[in-house]
Amino acid sequence: MFSTSSQKKFWTFSDDNELASLREKHNLAYIYKHGQNIDEFQRHSFFLSPEEERLLLKQYELHLKEFCKRFSPPMPKGVIGTAFHYFKRFYLYNSTMDYHPKEILATCVYLACKVEEFNVSIGQFVANIKGDRDKASDIILNNELLLMQQLNYHLTIHNPFRPVEGFLIDIKTRCNLANPERLRGGIDEFLEKVFLTDACLIYAPSQIALAAVLHAASKEQENLDCYVTEMLFRHAGQDKLAILIEAVRKIRSMVKMVESPAREKVRIIEKKLDKCRNQENNPDSEIYKRRMRELLDEDDIPHTGSSRMSLDTSGVAQVLSPSAS
Amino acid sequence: MDDQACPRCKTTKYRNPSLKLMVNVCGHALCESCVDLLFLKGSGSCPDCNVPLRRNNFRVQLFEDAMVEKEIDIRKRVLKDYNKKEEDFATLREYNDYLEEIETIVYNLTNNIDVVGTNKRIEQYKRDNKEIISKNKAKIGREEVELEEILEIEKQMEDLRRAEIIRMEQEAKKQKIREKEALIDELMFAEGDAKEILNTFAQSKANKPEVLPPVPKVTQFSTGIKFNRGSTQPTIPLIEEGPLYKYEPPIQPDRCGPDPPSIENIISGGYLKHVRAENETEKAGGYKSTLPCLRALQDALAGLYHAS
Repeated sequence: MFSTSSQKKFWTFSDDNELASLREKHNLAYIYKHGQNIDEFQRHSFFLSPEEERLLLKQYELHLKEFCKRFSPPMPKGVIGTAFHYFKRFYLYNSTMDYHPKEILATCVYLACKVEEFNVSIGQFVANIKGDRDKASDIILNNELLLMQQLNYHLTIHNPFRPVEGFLIDIKTRCNLANPERLRGGIDEFLEKVFLTDACLIYAPSQIALAAVLHAASKEQENLDCYVTEMLFRHAGQDKLAILIEAVRKIRSMVKMVESPAREKVRIIEKKLDKCRNQENNPDSEIYKRRMRELLDEDDIPHTGSSRMSLDTSGVAQVLSPSAS
Repeated sequence: MDDQACPRCKTTKYRNPSLKLMVNVCGHALCESCVDLLFLKGSGSCPDCNVPLRRNNFRVQLFEDAMVEKEIDIRKRVLKDYNKKEEDFATLREYNDYLEEIETIVYNLTNNIDVVGTNKRIEQYKRDNKEIISKNKAKIGREEVELEEILEIEKQMEDLRRAEIIRMEQEAKKQKIREKEALIDELMFAEGDAKEILNTFAQSKANKPEVLPPVPKVTQFSTGIKFNRGSTQPTIPLIEEGPLYKYEPPIQPDRCGPDPPSIENIISGGYLKHVRAENETEKAGGYKSTLPCLRALQDALAGLYHAS
């Protein structure tokens, strides 16, 4: 149940500002750590700003959606939702400069497949990836444990898909709406867009689901307001109804604001990222390859500082070698 | 007996009165000291026939003729395997043939006639009758145990009876002495005729009822089971029991949303019309369409009051 879940306790935030400040904090932490021998002025043009990171992540969320849609065998919706959750959660506490979103994206989807019991082997999985597949599977498996650690092993995700089914059953039973199945198209479209926003980090899955249902109904020129007020909130106070109405309104406006970032801008950011990213976590860099060799030579890797409970990332770079496995 | 002599060291009973002749499976005798000498290592070969022997198979020769000893050994060995009983045969004729065969084998082995062939025959028989042999062995084992038990009981009874007889004899002796003394007293002090007194005493003696032997103490139930048999079993210890378990329903966590309908309401409220019904196979596994329906409704309603 959502109300007792780790999702509510640790991964549901009060508003956009809290998310923004978290992201900015880790952006600054990275710059502070890696930019000590660069002067103040150059630092600005060398590293990514929080806004640039945000834009880049939006682009990669679109990539994530496309990747999941094209995935074969076709993926259940729950896996996609879970992967989105993981991706968003990971970059709340990490900078894109530290871990390239391209790598984390694939790892999130792979982990989501496992958690949501969508059984694909790593071989099947990398068959969906263009380019060097052996390298891709290496990256995914290397990053899997890192990702789980960064998620603090809170792997259970409450997606809005089941609540949608619940609302549809309830509407069919208790409302005299003609053919509620026609809402499905609008709902699916809405939920697809919801994952491109931060709504799932702020609102409960049932609120998102209700927003989707209400949005789809209004698109079909139907009004379900009386269902909400008369059926769902009949015994609840006016204050609770007000909160819900505000939440639904916010979610709908967030979805309305979704737009894909400009290509040109993203290309510049990507180029910048290639220079300022943490080379220790870049599988193509010499520094990474050398360390991997060293780790392979050591038979037994002493495990340091593995039980991290606070999500503070100070010192994550030392703790999380890409092969912390 | 006097000409008993060890074939190896030529010692005779005359020269060494404590001479003991020993025999082994081959039937050739040796005196005890020769056995000690030759079989120092525990095994060796017979000086007469070179058959390999073991020291602990030596035993004291009971019969003068060593051949008899050898035959006893062989018979014992053969009968270990040829342990069928008359009940195992359909007709008496067959049983007799079987006994005849045993005798032939024993004779052959004792007199070294076709030893290899005979041994083969025994092996063949062992293979063919493996089951019956082991079954009869177990049976014999059981019978022996029973026999021992009977013997034990008989011995006890015998002891009891003997003790009883001794006691009665002593009692009788005492009685006699007492009677004698009484008679003498009577003769000494009574006024009457001595002959008459003697007669009355003889009569009273004859009239005395025979003392019945006391009933032996009962040591078993009428079914034959001894008293002490069952009592050796330990009594079941009593276990202290705490207060009885009482079920307390778990506390429902705050759903943070409107209450979902109960299972009864789902069934009566018509929710199931909008859910795929379970099929036969799913029913067998305990699946019911109410469960996913309830879960979807719960998930839909939980968290609706969530305030960020």
